[in-house]
Amino acid sequence: MKRTIYFPAILFIAIIIIVSSCSNKNPGRDYMPDMRYSRAYETNAVLDSSVFISTITDRAAIGHKIFYNSKPVNGTVRRGELFAYTLPNDSNGYKMSAGVKNPLGPLNHTDSIEAARLFNINCAICHGATGVANGPLSGKIGAIANLTLPLYVTMADGTMFHSMTYGKNTMGSYAAQLDRKQRWMIVQYIRTLQPKDSTATAAVPVAVNTVPDSIKTK
Amino acid sequence: MSRIRIIFNKFFSGFIFIVLVTFSSNVIAADGEALFKTNCASCHKPDKDFSGPALKGWSERAPSKDWVYKWIANPANMIATDAYAKTLFEKWKPSIMTAFPQLKKDEIDAILKYVDDYTPPTIGPQANGQPQGSDDNSLLFGILTIILALIAFILIQVNSNLRKLSDDKEGVIRGEPIPFYRNKSYLMIGILTLFAVGGYFTIDGAIGLGRQKNYQPEQPIYYSHKVHAGINQISCLYCHGGAQDSKHANIPSVNVCMNCHMAIDKYEGEPIVKEDGKSVNGTAEIQKLYAYAGWNPVAKAYNPDNNADGIPDGASPIPWVRVHNLPDHVYFNHSQHIKVGKQQCQTCHGNIQEMPEVYQFTDLSMGWCINCHRESKVDFYNHETGEGNKFYSIYDKFHKDLKSGKMDSVTVGHIGGIECQKCHY
Repeated sequence: MKRTIYFPAILFIAIIIIVSSCSNKNPGRDYMPDMRYSRAYETNAVLDSSVFISTITDRAAIGHKIFYNSKPVNGTVRRGELFAYTLPNDSNGYKMSAGVKNPLGPLNHTDSIEAARLFNINCAICHGATGVANGPLSGKIGAIANLTLPLYVTMADGTMFHSMTYGKNTMGSYAAQLDRKQRWMIVQYIRTLQPKDSTATAAVPVAVNTVPDSIKTK
Repeated sequence: MSRIRIIFNKFFSGFIFIVLVTFSSNVIAADGEALFKTNCASCHKPDKDFSGPALKGWSERAPSKDWVYKWIANPANMIATDAYAKTLFEKWKPSIMTAFPQLKKDEIDAILKYVDDYTPPTIGPQANGQPQGSDDNSLLFGILTIILALIAFILIQVNSNLRKLSDDKEGVIRGEPIPFYRNKSYLMIGILTLFAVGGYFTIDGAIGLGRQKNYQPEQPIYYSHKVHAGINQISCLYCHGGAQDSKHANIPSVNVCMNCHMAIDKYEGEPIVKEDGKSVNGTAEIQKLYAYAGWNPVAKAYNPDNNADGIPDGASPIPWVRVHNLPDHVYFNHSQHIKVGKQQCQTCHGNIQEMPEVYQFTDLSMGWCINCHRESKVDFYNHETGEGNKFYSIYDKFHKDLKSGKMDSVTVGHIGGIECQKCHY
C-alpha cells in the first residue's frame, strides 16, 4: 500500500519543482554565489543601509556608518575635461551666460560628426534632426524651440550652453547626459543647422519627422 | 545480376542525393532565418508591412535579383539613381533602409529563400480562454509515445501468453514464466531509460545553473521599452549613454526620465496589456515616477528641499531590478563593444524596442560570447585606403597574410578575443 503511494508522490513533487523553476520571474540558482556576485559594491547597486549613509545630514549615524553617495566632490574636474561652469541657475546667471565664450575652437571633421551624432541622440528626439522642432516627441511635448528661428540664431553660445546645463521651460537639464565639451560641441552643431543670415525667414516646422535610422537602432 | 546491382546503385545514389538536398536546403533555410532575425527583423516582417515593406513576394515587385543585391548594399545610392527605388522611398519616407554592405550574395539568397518559404505560425483556436502553448505538440507526441510503448508492452505480454498456451497444447514444458518486473531485459531497458532521461535533465539543469535566459523580473514601475524606444523612437543611448563611454550601460537616473515626463504626464497611446492579460494604466505608472522623483504634478514643480539633502523631499531612487548580470569573474565592457566594435544593442539584448517588459534575450554563456568573437570581423585597418580602425595598423603579420591571401578577414578571435585572460583575470 505504502509503495503505491511513493511513486505518484515523487512524481508530483518533481513536477512541482520543474514547473516552479520554469518561472521567468526569478533569476534561478547559482553555483558558488560568492564567485558570481561581487564582494565590492557595483555600479547601480543598492548600498547596505546598515553600513552606509548617503546623506551627511543624518547626524545620529555619523561616526557609526560610512558616508558614501557615489558623487564626486563639488567642483571636481575629470582629467582632460573642461573647467566647471560656475554661473548659477537663476535669472541673473541666465543673463550673464551671454558673455561666456565657447572655449572650443572650430570643430575638426571627427568632432563635427560626433557632435551631429550626439545631437541626433539627445536633442533630435524633440528638436528634430534639422532643428525645426519636428522630432518624434514634438506631438507630445509642447513649446519645443525651433532652433532655426531668428531668436535662436541671435542667441549667444553661452546662453544655449546655460540652457542645456540647467534646462529651460519644459526642457530638462542635460548636464547628466552630456559633459561640458559635448554640450559646447552641440552648440556649434546647432549653428550649422541655422540659416546663415539672422534676418532670414526661419524654416517652417514641417510634419512630425522620424529620427534618422542610423541612430534609431542604437 | 550485375544489372540489378546497377539499378540498385542508381536508386541508392538517388536516394542519398535526395536526402542530401533536403538536408542542405534545411541548413540554408535555418541560416536564412537567423540572418533575417538579426539583420532585417527590426524593420521587416516576411508577410506583413512593418517599418519597411513585407518581404514575401519580393520577386514579383523588385525588378531583378541583382537589383535586390544592389539595394541592400546601398539603398541611399539607389534612391538617387533608380526609378523603382525612388517609388519605394516615396512610399516609405522619411525612413530610409539601413545599408547592409556586409551581407554576401549567398546570405541574401538565404534570407530571400527564408521569406519566400515563410508560413505564419498557425495559432490554435483560443476557445474557452484556454491558452494554446507552443509546447502543446511536444505534449501530444509524449502522450503518443507513451501509448505506443504501452501497446508494445501489452502485445509482448500477449505474445508470451499465447506462446505459453501453444506450448501447453503441444506439451512442451517450460519453466514458470518470469513476471515482467523481474525480467532482466525489462529491468535493463528501464534502467537504461532512466539513466538517459535522468542524465539529460541533470546535465541540462547543471548547465543552466547561473544562467538566466528569459529572466523577466517584475519592475517597480511598468516601464515599456516598446513605448519608449519603439513607438517614440528614443535612442537607447539617450538613457543608457554610459554604454558608449564606460564599462556599464548605466541605468538612467530619475532626472533623465523627468526630461520628458515633466511635460508628458498622461499615457495616451495604445492600451498596454501585460503578458498575463492584466491591463496597465500608463498614467498611473507615470504618477509612480513622480513619487520617486519628488515632483508635484499639480504645481508642476519639484517638492521643496526642506531637509537640505540636495534632493527634493520625498524623492528616492527607483529600485529597478537588474536583468542582465554577468558573474563577477567575467570582465565585460560596453564601450568596447558599442564604440569600438560598433555592435548594435540588439545583437545581445534582442529586439528591445519590441519588448514591453525587458527579458534576457541571450543566455550570456561563455560559449555564446566565444562564438560571436570567432565570427565577428574587426574593423581592420587598410593601409592603402586608410579606412578602418587605425589601432590595427600595427598587426603586421595579419597585414601580410591578408595581402598574400592566406586569410580573408580578421576576426575578434584572431586579435586575442578568445584568450582566457581577455575576460577572466
